[in-house]
Amino acid sequence: MIKILAACGAGINASHQIKDALEKEMKSRGYDVHCDAMMVKDVTATMIKDYDIYAQIAKTDMKFKPAIPVVDAGAILYRMPAMAKPVYDNVEKIIKEKGLN
Amino acid sequence: MSIPVSHELFHPDAVFVTNQTSQAAIFQEVAAQLHQLKAVKPGFAQALLAREHDYPTGIDLSVLNSDYPNVAVPHTEAEFVNTRMIVPIKLMHPVMFGNMIDPSVQLPVSYLFMLLNDELDSQTNILAQVMDLITTTPTKQLTAFFNETNRATIYSLLSTYFSQD
Repeated sequence: MIKILAACGAGINASHQIKDALEKEMKSRGYDVHCDAMMVKDVTATMIKDYDIYAQIAKTDMKFKPAIPVVDAGAILYRMPAMAKPVYDNVEKIIKEKGLN
Repeated sequence: MSIPVSHELFHPDAVFVTNQTSQAAIFQEVAAQLHQLKAVKPGFAQALLAREHDYPTGIDLSVLNSDYPNVAVPHTEAEFVNTRMIVPIKLMHPVMFGNMIDPSVQLPVSYLFMLLNDELDSQTNILAQVMDLITTTPTKQLTAFFNETNRATIYSLLSTYFSQD
Protein backbone atom coordinates (compact mmCIF):
# COMPACT_ATOMS: atom_id res chain seq x y z
CA MET A 1 0.00 0.00 0.00
CA ILE A 2 1.19 3.50 -0.88
CA LYS A 3 0.87 5.90 2.06
CA ILE A 4 0.31 9.60 1.43
CA LEU A 5 0.09 12.36 4.03
CA ALA A 6 -2.02 15.46 3.33
CA ALA A 7 -1.85 18.39 5.73
CA CYS A 8 -3.58 21.75 6.06
CA GLY A 9 -4.01 24.48 8.65
CA ALA A 10 -7.01 23.10 10.51
CA GLY A 11 -6.71 19.46 9.46
CA ILE A 12 -10.39 19.41 8.55
CA ASN A 13 -11.46 20.80 5.23
CA ALA A 14 -8.66 21.16 2.69
CA SER A 15 -6.62 18.13 3.75
CA HIS A 16 -9.70 15.88 3.75
CA GLN A 17 -10.63 17.10 0.29
CA ILE A 18 -7.11 16.26 -0.92
CA LYS A 19 -7.30 12.87 0.81
CA ASP A 20 -10.62 11.93 -0.76
CA ALA A 21 -9.56 13.08 -4.23
CA LEU A 22 -6.15 11.35 -4.18
CA GLU A 23 -7.53 8.06 -2.89
CA LYS A 24 -10.32 8.03 -5.48
CA GLU A 25 -8.19 9.01 -8.47
CA MET A 26 -5.22 6.80 -7.63
CA LYS A 27 -7.55 3.84 -7.10
CA SER A 28 -9.04 4.46 -10.54
CA ARG A 29 -5.48 4.43 -11.92
CA GLY A 30 -4.92 1.03 -10.33
CA TYR A 31 -2.92 1.97 -7.25
CA ASP A 32 -3.59 0.92 -3.67
CA VAL A 33 -3.31 4.28 -1.93
CA HIS A 34 -4.16 5.33 1.62
CA CYS A 35 -4.02 8.99 2.56
CA ASP A 36 -4.09 10.47 6.07
CA ALA A 37 -5.16 14.07 6.71
CA MET A 38 -3.88 16.19 9.56
CA MET A 39 -2.88 19.65 10.74
CA VAL A 40 0.39 21.00 9.36
CA LYS A 41 1.57 21.89 12.85
CA ASP A 42 1.30 18.24 13.87
CA VAL A 43 3.54 17.00 11.06
CA THR A 44 7.01 16.11 12.35
CA ALA A 45 10.21 15.03 10.63
CA THR A 46 9.96 11.66 12.37
CA MET A 47 6.37 10.76 11.58
CA ILE A 48 6.56 11.88 7.97
CA LYS A 49 9.04 9.04 7.39
CA ASP A 50 6.12 6.62 7.80
CA TYR A 51 4.71 7.93 4.51
CA ASP A 52 5.76 7.61 0.88
CA ILE A 53 4.55 11.01 -0.38
CA TYR A 54 3.69 14.31 1.30
CA ALA A 55 0.82 16.18 -0.40
CA GLN A 56 0.98 19.82 0.67
CA ILE A 57 -1.84 22.28 0.10
CA ALA A 58 0.33 25.37 0.37
CA LYS A 59 3.95 26.21 -0.12
CA THR A 60 4.08 26.20 3.63
CA ASP A 61 7.15 27.03 5.64
CA MET A 62 7.94 23.65 7.17
CA LYS A 63 10.46 23.75 9.98
CA PHE A 64 12.22 20.81 8.39
CA LYS A 65 12.90 19.45 4.94
CA PRO A 66 10.67 16.41 4.40
CA ALA A 67 12.69 13.27 3.71
CA ILE A 68 10.04 12.03 1.30
CA PRO A 69 8.83 13.38 -2.08
CA VAL A 70 6.57 16.43 -1.80
CA VAL A 71 3.69 17.15 -4.17
CA ASP A 72 1.94 20.54 -4.45
CA ALA A 73 -1.67 19.39 -4.25
CA GLY A 74 -3.47 22.70 -3.74
CA ALA A 75 -4.87 22.75 -7.28
CA ILE A 76 -7.10 19.80 -6.33
CA LEU A 77 -9.11 22.17 -4.13
CA TYR A 78 -10.67 23.82 -7.18
CA ARG A 79 -12.54 20.61 -8.04
CA MET A 80 -11.73 21.16 -11.71
CA PRO A 81 -10.47 17.99 -13.44
CA ALA A 82 -8.12 19.93 -15.74
CA MET A 83 -6.48 21.63 -12.76
CA ALA A 84 -6.23 18.46 -10.68
CA LYS A 85 -4.80 16.22 -13.40
CA PRO A 86 -1.19 17.52 -13.18
CA VAL A 87 -1.23 16.79 -9.44
CA TYR A 88 -2.42 13.22 -9.99
CA ASP A 89 0.11 12.77 -12.79
CA ASN A 90 2.87 13.98 -10.49
CA VAL A 91 1.85 11.52 -7.77
CA GLU A 92 1.76 8.69 -10.31
CA LYS A 93 5.19 9.72 -11.63
CA ILE A 94 6.65 9.50 -8.12
CA ILE A 95 4.97 6.12 -7.53
CA LYS A 96 6.57 4.77 -10.69
CA GLU A 97 9.98 6.36 -10.17
CA LYS A 98 10.21 5.16 -6.57
CA GLY A 99 8.78 1.75 -7.38
CA LEU A 100 6.15 2.22 -4.67
CA ASN A 101 3.45 0.10 -6.23
CA MET B 1 -31.87 31.69 19.84
CA SER B 2 -29.71 28.73 18.93
CA ILE B 3 -28.89 26.58 15.96
CA PRO B 4 -31.62 23.95 15.56
CA VAL B 5 -30.52 20.35 15.39
CA SER B 6 -30.70 19.68 11.70
CA HIS B 7 -28.59 18.96 8.69
CA GLU B 8 -29.11 22.43 7.22
CA LEU B 9 -25.86 24.00 6.14
CA PHE B 10 -27.16 27.56 6.37
CA HIS B 11 -29.01 29.66 8.94
CA PRO B 12 -31.03 32.76 7.97
CA ASP B 13 -29.48 34.69 10.87
CA ALA B 14 -25.97 33.68 9.86
CA VAL B 15 -25.82 35.52 6.53
CA PHE B 16 -23.75 38.69 6.45
CA VAL B 17 -23.30 41.75 4.26
CA THR B 18 -20.62 43.82 5.90
CA ASN B 19 -18.90 47.17 5.49
CA GLN B 20 -15.97 46.14 7.68
CA THR B 21 -12.56 46.71 6.15
CA SER B 22 -10.27 44.35 8.05
CA GLN B 23 -10.16 40.63 8.74
CA ALA B 24 -10.24 41.28 12.50
CA ALA B 25 -13.32 43.51 12.33
CA ILE B 26 -15.17 41.08 10.04
CA PHE B 27 -14.39 38.11 12.26
CA GLN B 28 -15.47 40.00 15.40
CA GLU B 29 -18.79 41.03 13.83
CA VAL B 30 -19.55 37.54 12.56
CA ALA B 31 -18.34 35.75 15.68
CA ALA B 32 -20.56 37.89 17.91
CA GLN B 33 -23.64 36.79 15.98
CA LEU B 34 -22.53 33.15 15.74
CA HIS B 35 -21.93 33.16 19.47
CA GLN B 36 -25.51 34.39 19.98
CA LEU B 37 -26.64 31.46 17.86
CA LYS B 38 -24.50 29.15 20.01
CA ALA B 39 -22.75 28.00 16.85
CA VAL B 40 -19.25 28.84 18.10
CA LYS B 41 -17.33 28.91 21.34
CA PRO B 42 -15.41 31.74 23.02
CA GLY B 43 -12.11 32.47 21.30
CA PHE B 44 -13.46 31.65 17.84
CA ALA B 45 -12.67 35.05 16.29
CA GLN B 46 -9.13 35.13 17.69
CA ALA B 47 -8.53 31.57 16.51
CA LEU B 48 -9.78 32.47 13.03
CA LEU B 49 -7.47 35.46 12.84
CA ALA B 50 -4.44 33.48 14.00
CA ARG B 51 -5.15 30.67 11.60
CA GLU B 52 -5.64 33.08 8.72
CA HIS B 53 -2.25 34.58 9.53
CA ASP B 54 -0.46 31.22 9.63
CA TYR B 55 -2.49 29.29 7.06
CA PRO B 56 -4.44 31.75 4.88
CA THR B 57 -7.57 30.67 3.02
CA GLY B 58 -7.88 33.06 0.08
CA ILE B 59 -8.80 31.39 -3.20
CA ASP B 60 -7.85 33.02 -6.49
CA LEU B 61 -10.91 32.72 -8.73
CA SER B 62 -9.33 34.59 -11.63
CA VAL B 63 -8.02 31.22 -12.80
CA LEU B 64 -11.65 30.24 -13.38
CA ASN B 65 -13.03 33.55 -14.64
CA SER B 66 -11.33 36.95 -14.61
CA ASP B 67 -14.67 38.58 -13.78
CA TYR B 68 -15.15 36.62 -10.55
CA PRO B 69 -14.16 38.19 -7.25
CA ASN B 70 -11.71 36.25 -5.13
CA VAL B 71 -13.12 34.41 -2.15
CA ALA B 72 -11.76 33.10 1.13
CA VAL B 73 -12.91 30.22 3.30
CA PRO B 74 -11.88 31.14 6.85
CA HIS B 75 -12.16 28.30 9.33
CA THR B 76 -10.52 26.99 12.42
CA GLU B 77 -10.14 23.87 14.49
CA ALA B 78 -13.20 21.83 15.41
CA GLU B 79 -12.75 22.64 19.10
CA PHE B 80 -14.01 26.21 18.57
CA VAL B 81 -17.31 25.31 16.87
CA ASN B 82 -20.51 23.51 17.85
CA THR B 83 -21.99 22.66 14.49
CA ARG B 84 -21.41 22.16 10.80
CA MET B 85 -22.41 25.17 8.77
CA ILE B 86 -21.40 27.48 5.92
CA VAL B 87 -21.63 31.20 6.73
CA PRO B 88 -21.76 33.47 3.64
CA ILE B 89 -20.26 36.93 4.12
CA LYS B 90 -20.49 39.52 1.36
CA LEU B 91 -17.75 42.14 1.72
CA MET B 92 -18.82 45.55 0.46
CA HIS B 93 -15.15 46.56 0.47
CA PRO B 94 -12.47 44.10 -0.67
CA VAL B 95 -10.16 42.91 2.10
CA MET B 96 -6.74 41.34 1.59
CA PHE B 97 -6.29 37.65 2.35
CA GLY B 98 -3.30 35.40 1.75
CA ASN B 99 -3.63 32.84 -1.03
CA MET B 100 -4.28 29.40 0.43
CA ILE B 101 -2.11 27.72 -2.19
CA ASP B 102 0.67 30.31 -2.13
CA PRO B 103 0.59 32.26 1.16
CA SER B 104 3.25 34.69 -0.08
CA VAL B 105 0.61 36.19 -2.40
CA GLN B 106 -2.07 38.57 -1.10
CA LEU B 107 -5.47 38.59 -2.82
CA PRO B 108 -8.22 41.22 -2.66
CA VAL B 109 -11.23 39.22 -1.49
CA SER B 110 -14.87 40.22 -1.79
CA TYR B 111 -16.71 37.16 -0.54
CA LEU B 112 -16.20 34.81 2.39
CA PHE B 113 -17.62 31.37 2.94
CA MET B 114 -16.81 30.81 6.59
CA LEU B 115 -16.73 27.09 7.32
CA LEU B 116 -17.86 25.76 10.67
CA ASN B 117 -17.01 22.10 11.00
CA ASP B 118 -17.06 20.18 14.26
CA GLU B 119 -16.62 16.79 12.62
CA LEU B 120 -12.99 15.81 12.09
CA ASP B 121 -13.88 12.99 9.74
CA SER B 122 -16.93 14.44 8.10
CA GLN B 123 -18.07 12.38 5.18
CA THR B 124 -19.49 15.46 3.53
CA ASN B 125 -16.71 17.90 2.85
CA ILE B 126 -18.19 21.40 3.04
CA LEU B 127 -15.19 23.04 1.36
CA ALA B 128 -15.68 20.72 -1.59
CA GLN B 129 -19.36 21.69 -1.66
CA VAL B 130 -18.51 25.39 -1.75
CA MET B 131 -16.04 24.82 -4.57
CA ASP B 132 -18.66 22.82 -6.47
CA LEU B 133 -21.08 25.74 -6.09
CA ILE B 134 -18.48 28.07 -7.61
CA THR B 135 -17.37 25.82 -10.44
CA THR B 136 -20.74 24.42 -11.53
CA THR B 137 -22.99 27.49 -11.29
CA PRO B 138 -23.40 29.26 -14.64
CA THR B 139 -21.31 32.44 -14.83
CA LYS B 140 -24.25 34.83 -15.04
CA GLN B 141 -25.96 33.28 -12.03
CA LEU B 142 -22.82 33.16 -9.93
CA THR B 143 -21.96 36.78 -10.75
CA ALA B 144 -25.46 37.82 -9.71
CA PHE B 145 -25.05 35.87 -6.48
CA PHE B 146 -21.71 37.53 -5.70
CA ASN B 147 -23.31 40.96 -6.26
CA GLU B 148 -26.43 40.24 -4.19
CA THR B 149 -26.68 42.34 -1.02
CA ASN B 150 -30.06 41.24 0.32
CA ARG B 151 -29.45 38.76 3.11
CA ALA B 152 -32.74 36.92 2.66
CA THR B 153 -32.06 36.49 -1.05
CA ILE B 154 -28.53 35.21 -0.39
CA TYR B 155 -29.92 32.69 2.09
CA SER B 156 -32.62 31.60 -0.33
CA LEU B 157 -30.19 31.18 -3.26
CA LEU B 158 -27.75 29.12 -1.22
CA SER B 159 -30.43 26.99 0.41
CA THR B 160 -31.93 26.23 -2.97
CA TYR B 161 -28.59 25.31 -4.50
CA PHE B 162 -27.54 23.04 -1.64
CA SER B 163 -30.93 21.34 -1.37
CA GLN B 164 -30.39 20.03 -4.90
CA ASP B 165 -27.56 17.76 -3.74
